[in-house]
Amino acid sequence: MHKDQTADMNDFVLKIDNLSIAFGGLKAVDQLSFAIKEKEVYGLIGPNGAGKTTVFNCITQFYKADTGSVLFKNNKNKAVELTQMKVHDIIANGLVRTFQNVELIPELTIMDNVLIGAHVHFKANIISQGLKLPKAVREEKKMKQKAMEILKVLGIDDRSFMIVAGQPYGILKKVELARTLMSEPKLIILDEPAAGLNDLETLELSKRIKMVRDELDCSILLVEHDMRLVMDVCDRICAINFGKFLAEGTPKEIKENRAVQVAYLGLEVDDES
Amino acid sequence: MTDRFNKIRKNPYIQFIVLGLILCTVPTLAAMGILKVSNITILGGTFIFTIAALGLNILLGYSGLISLGTAGFMGLAAYISAYVTMDMGLPFEIAFFLAVLIPTVIGILVALISLRIEGIYLAIATLAVSEILRKTFEEFDFFTNGFSGKTAKYPTLFGIFELDRATTYYFVVFVMILVMVLTYNLMNGRLGRALNAMRGSEAASQAMGVKLLNHRVIAFTLATIFASIAGVLYVHFVRYAYPTGWSLKLSLDFLAMIVIGGMRSIYGTLLGALIVFAIPDLFLKQLPYFSQMSYVLNGVLIILVIIFYPHGLIHAGHDIKALFRKWFKKGENNA
Repeated sequence: MHKDQTADMNDFVLKIDNLSIAFGGLKAVDQLSFAIKEKEVYGLIGPNGAGKTTVFNCITQFYKADTGSVLFKNNKNKAVELTQMKVHDIIANGLVRTFQNVELIPELTIMDNVLIGAHVHFKANIISQGLKLPKAVREEKKMKQKAMEILKVLGIDDRSFMIVAGQPYGILKKVELARTLMSEPKLIILDEPAAGLNDLETLELSKRIKMVRDELDCSILLVEHDMRLVMDVCDRICAINFGKFLAEGTPKEIKENRAVQVAYLGLEVDDES
Repeated sequence: MTDRFNKIRKNPYIQFIVLGLILCTVPTLAAMGILKVSNITILGGTFIFTIAALGLNILLGYSGLISLGTAGFMGLAAYISAYVTMDMGLPFEIAFFLAVLIPTVIGILVALISLRIEGIYLAIATLAVSEILRKTFEEFDFFTNGFSGKTAKYPTLFGIFELDRATTYYFVVFVMILVMVLTYNLMNGRLGRALNAMRGSEAASQAMGVKLLNHRVIAFTLATIFASIAGVLYVHFVRYAYPTGWSLKLSLDFLAMIVIGGMRSIYGTLLGALIVFAIPDLFLKQLPYFSQMSYVLNGVLIILVIIFYPHGLIHAGHDIKALFRKWFKKGENNA
């Protein structure tokens, strides 16, 4: 077995090292390395097709990386190698994600959708569920209370009994966030949380992201196109292009970085400067 | 006061018990001459089919998987129970246990093999198993008595209570209500949410920690267990089983029941069973030209239901209520 790498993690929660994945001849992610500190909001930016979502999928194991390692300090403060896990085992370690196109169950109520986030925390077995033994009933009640508290914080508790289908997009995004919060995460990965939101909702979102970080003591990894949001909430940012590392730094440093400007605006690189 | 009454009325468990009590009046009504004695058999049979259909509804409605093997597993359970009680002379309880256990084990094996691959493969695998079982029922006549049909007796509970037609009917209603409560509990809890999530989005459910294969197998196992229970009840209530009864047509009838009655609806499943099994037997077969037409009815009904009530006829209830309210109001205005 591997040596225990917990000591190497220092104050990092996620450490990506030399990650590569290719689809046929296309190198979607190429030798990418970055690390996220605890209680940090970390942004991953890049032009369209830069491979941001692929990086996400490699972290959450929807894609299996060809090479490289993804070390994660889990909720028991032990370093685990995510690349050796199955998709459904990731969340129990304290890493949870949202989806670019909201993935909720339209026929269920908002409450039920949020409760799915706590799937791995339910302990009652199928028999006690079927017979509604006191243990299962207590557990269900406890989870419902927790879900209600989260919905209250997000300001949508008055809708908890409503069916998801037909809710406005801004609400759906909140429900998905509520679902991730149910799992007591150490790291939340948000895939374009501001997509489809109006200015006011985006403003509210940036407040909410900071609040989640402070209240839950967790880190947040953010993929986003909305630069105002990224510059506003992120402590550090990593810019990538064509799957390759471009620059890392504070929002200010990234803004001033020549390589990032070239990638985004297509500036001519003149050799004299 | 009315609040409290409404609370009791809306309690799902009270509703199930009330339904059970209402259904238990049938033998009394028959004894009083209001219903025919043969109606007990038709309705009891319908409730037995409801049990199997509830299992299929968990599989199809909640997890979105199709099985065409319901009839095969039901038949296997029926023959095992008949063989164990009649040929081996063992008590009904042991027969019940074995007749549920053996098909379930076979079902789990089929599920483990076919559910690794997504899509239609479970339907194909269960169709194959079901046809193999049906052929077995025809050929293994030491076990099934072949085409002459296997006979069984009304069950004897705990070795003392010898049931007759009416008491077996009560037993069937009791088991059906029990299965309904069980289904309700499971589908409104963690398992039901996980199955729903799986049907809605495999990616999201995996990200939430739902193990796809596990939950697919659980759903299929529940469907097989319910089908087996139905098989045991069937053979001891109707008291015979023919190999031709357990054909693909019966499996398709189960699908029809769910589509017509209502996906993911417990009462819808019962409604579907009444429409597909009870109504042709109770009414249509009395009419001279309709006796052979009842099979056409299913097809026509499925088409009509899919066009007008894609989520099942159980949802027609709201519309009917709204219609009555409209008529009522109209009457008021005129007055």
